[in-house]
Amino acid sequence: MASRPTVTIISKDGTPSGATHPIPAVFSSPIRPDIVQQVHTGMAKNKRQPYAVSEKAGHQTSAESWGTGRAVARIPRVSGGGTHRAGQAAFGNMCRSGRMFAPTKIWRKWHIKINQGQKRFATASALAASAVAPLLLARGHQISSVPEVPLVIDSAAFEGGAAAKTANAFAILSAVGASADVIKAKKSKKLRAGKGKMRGRRHRQRRGPLVIYDPEVDGTELVKGTRNLPGVETCPVYALNLLQLAPGGHLGRFIVWTSAAFKALDSIYGTTTTPSELKKDFLLPSNLVAQADLSRLINSSEIQSVLRAPKGTALSKRSGIQKNPLRNKQVMLRFNPYHSAFVKNELGQQKKEAGKPPKTPETFLSVLKED
Amino acid sequence: MASSSADLVWEIVRNNNSFLVKRKASGGVQFSRDSLNLTNKNARKWAGFVNDKAIGVVPGDKEAVKVLSKKTSESNKPAKAITETVYSGGKSARKLVHLDYSLRIQKMFCVYGEQEMLMRLLYRTYVAVANQAAKSNYRADLREAAVARASAIRHSYKKPKASPEPKLRGSKAKKASE
Repeated sequence: MASRPTVTIISKDGTPSGATHPIPAVFSSPIRPDIVQQVHTGMAKNKRQPYAVSEKAGHQTSAESWGTGRAVARIPRVSGGGTHRAGQAAFGNMCRSGRMFAPTKIWRKWHIKINQGQKRFATASALAASAVAPLLLARGHQISSVPEVPLVIDSAAFEGGAAAKTANAFAILSAVGASADVIKAKKSKKLRAGKGKMRGRRHRQRRGPLVIYDPEVDGTELVKGTRNLPGVETCPVYALNLLQLAPGGHLGRFIVWTSAAFKALDSIYGTTTTPSELKKDFLLPSNLVAQADLSRLINSSEIQSVLRAPKGTALSKRSGIQKNPLRNKQVMLRFNPYHSAFVKNELGQQKKEAGKPPKTPETFLSVLKED
Repeated sequence: MASSSADLVWEIVRNNNSFLVKRKASGGVQFSRDSLNLTNKNARKWAGFVNDKAIGVVPGDKEAVKVLSKKTSESNKPAKAITETVYSGGKSARKLVHLDYSLRIQKMFCVYGEQEMLMRLLYRTYVAVANQAAKSNYRADLREAAVARASAIRHSYKKPKASPEPKLRGSKAKKASE
């Protein structure tokens, strides 16, 4: 929970370039998985193409019901004769070759309108989450060799199409410790289970790092340089997309920033008090809870000063615990003060007096055996 | 970041994270694959990747025990965040004794004998693990689990005892005795 005013800018060989940049205010916006998930669900639906079964399917026959009195169900039946189809039931969803129940229509509500404020909130939230290392780990990114989160690479590394070739782009990514995540994504490519294979979704694979750049400074060559790296995606900083920032609605995408893109975030998002330069009427959302660290709250002097002192001592709190007097001598002495003398004189070990028991008196036996 | 307290992060990831193993068996028991988790349970106390301070105990090379701990000062620098301490395996401890590595150990070796000495060297690991967990205000609540895990790892290195020769019975025993 260390406060972090600046981020190191890393040069293309993976060492700190010496330059730093104050962390943009967007990274302290509230992290709200509920809003991100809801907006993601809506946005994911906005690229769908309408589909439906044929309007005519199941209705291309001139079937009529036979009515009552023929000892068959009143479902429409195919007219005519001379073929097996004649007399078979038709139209109904329960019939062979009938239409489906509630045939799908192309005018289904395919797309979801999402309020712009919510979309902007979700994007800011996803960006804030991308700077929290535990959230990246929870998403499954391999970041153990990454020098810093958020990871900012000097734009000089991309100057003049330096990342136009895949090998060069990969060299930059591996220099800054992001190659483990790329390799993980590459190795994860698997054949999809089920029918999706034949519907244009043949493979499934993990997502790697997202490279965010500023097209005006970095150029767009790095898009071509990274497009053959499986799992690596690119995005211009002016057109961030929640589907890339929080794939599946899960927060914590591993983002590789170019320094120009990182600096642009200040003007794109503004702060909680100064409006954004590029987005109309937009202020960054503020946190409802300024301090989310519970142990820090509980142990703060403000809270501790108004709490009453704990009642009782450590000993009295244990009053409910019963100790075994046979094992615990102190407890035994509390029960039985005589115990110490008993042990000291070894009364427990003393044997009974030896010797034969006295003989039964004759008179007793004679009385016993009397008839 | 201002808002990324461990408490908040835990609420975000408790139901879904890459380390989580959910099974329907045994009443929906939930485990964690996190190496900084001492009991492998998916719980706030043990979730090492979430907490600012965490201890992990994992097997190392050559029957060693490796203790991982998180640096609070480097929480946003994953490459530097985890320190590793290796406690070497029992075999090298024996070597240490034979090489007369230090006079103190040599003396101890004379006093206690080899078996006892090895136990004591082993015990040193546990003391060190316990200290690492509990000393200097780190995570005293993890001490017991850390030592237990170190002990379990050490135990796993033990070779199983050879089973005794089966006793011959019946006609085979008769034949053997002749």
